[in-house]
Amino acid sequence: MKGSLYAFLAGGFITLQGVANARISRDIGTWQTAAMTQFTGFIAALFILILVRDGHWKMFSQIRPLYLCGGALGAVIIFSNVTAIHQIGVTLSISFLLIAQLGLTFLVDSNGWFGVSKQKMDRSQFIGIAVMIAGVAILGF
Amino acid sequence: MVLGLIMALMAGSLVCMQNIFNSKVSERAGSWATTVLVLGLGFLASLMIGLAFEGGRLFALHHMQSWYGFSGLIGVGVVICLVQGIRRLGPTYAVSIVLTSQLLFALLWDSLGWFGLTQVPLTFRQILGVLVIIAGVIIFKFSGERRAA
Repeated sequence: MKGSLYAFLAGGFITLQGVANARISRDIGTWQTAAMTQFTGFIAALFILILVRDGHWKMFSQIRPLYLCGGALGAVIIFSNVTAIHQIGVTLSISFLLIAQLGLTFLVDSNGWFGVSKQKMDRSQFIGIAVMIAGVAILGF
Repeated sequence: MVLGLIMALMAGSLVCMQNIFNSKVSERAGSWATTVLVLGLGFLASLMIGLAFEGGRLFALHHMQSWYGFSGLIGVGVVICLVQGIRRLGPTYAVSIVLTSQLLFALLWDSLGWFGLTQVPLTFRQILGVLVIIAGVIIFKFSGERRAA
């Protein structure tokens, strides 16, 4: 039960973050918003890391550099998310975002890209994405 | 409309890639070290792209309000809740709930129009659309029990 509450709050925070970024970017600009919010988050996370001490710094050398650079994608994610919310509203933005996210996850898993262990996909995953697209069609058109 | 659509699809594709990369880092380095790295790099990338496009105007924050400086803390809330949710429920259940809740809160924000967003009145069609999308998410996540993200 507690786990469900955490997961529910996580989803709420993710949406809130997009909405807050969209609001802030109107006043100070989108790149400024992306830089400022990630900087605040970075400082806060750094404090927590120092408190909980669960960092395994030596392990970083064993991780492929490509994976370590994933964070840089955050800049473009925030920019495109904010622009989408300005253009088509929160609900449609999140809906399209999730379809792209799960659709690409499906492709990555079935082809074993990026060193992900290759999975055999079944038809019900196609059906899941098709149902999501149907839902967006009901929403938007 | 089309621009917004393309932007949302791009954001989703990048979120997928970032999830994969972050989970690879997190397996070895721990979730907080990963968060520090991800947000630090995201900040640097935003700063550099912003400077490339806008030059010194990047630092002219004319309508700054003090809460803008704290909104980044929401991201820390996301990490805490995600890690706890996945630890207690496992990725399939946790991520299904996260995605569902994202959509429900999106509907809530649109219909309330808080934060100066354009208010979109809540209609039966919208509720139906979101419920159908949630059904799709659940079919997708639970048909592939083995898979995370």
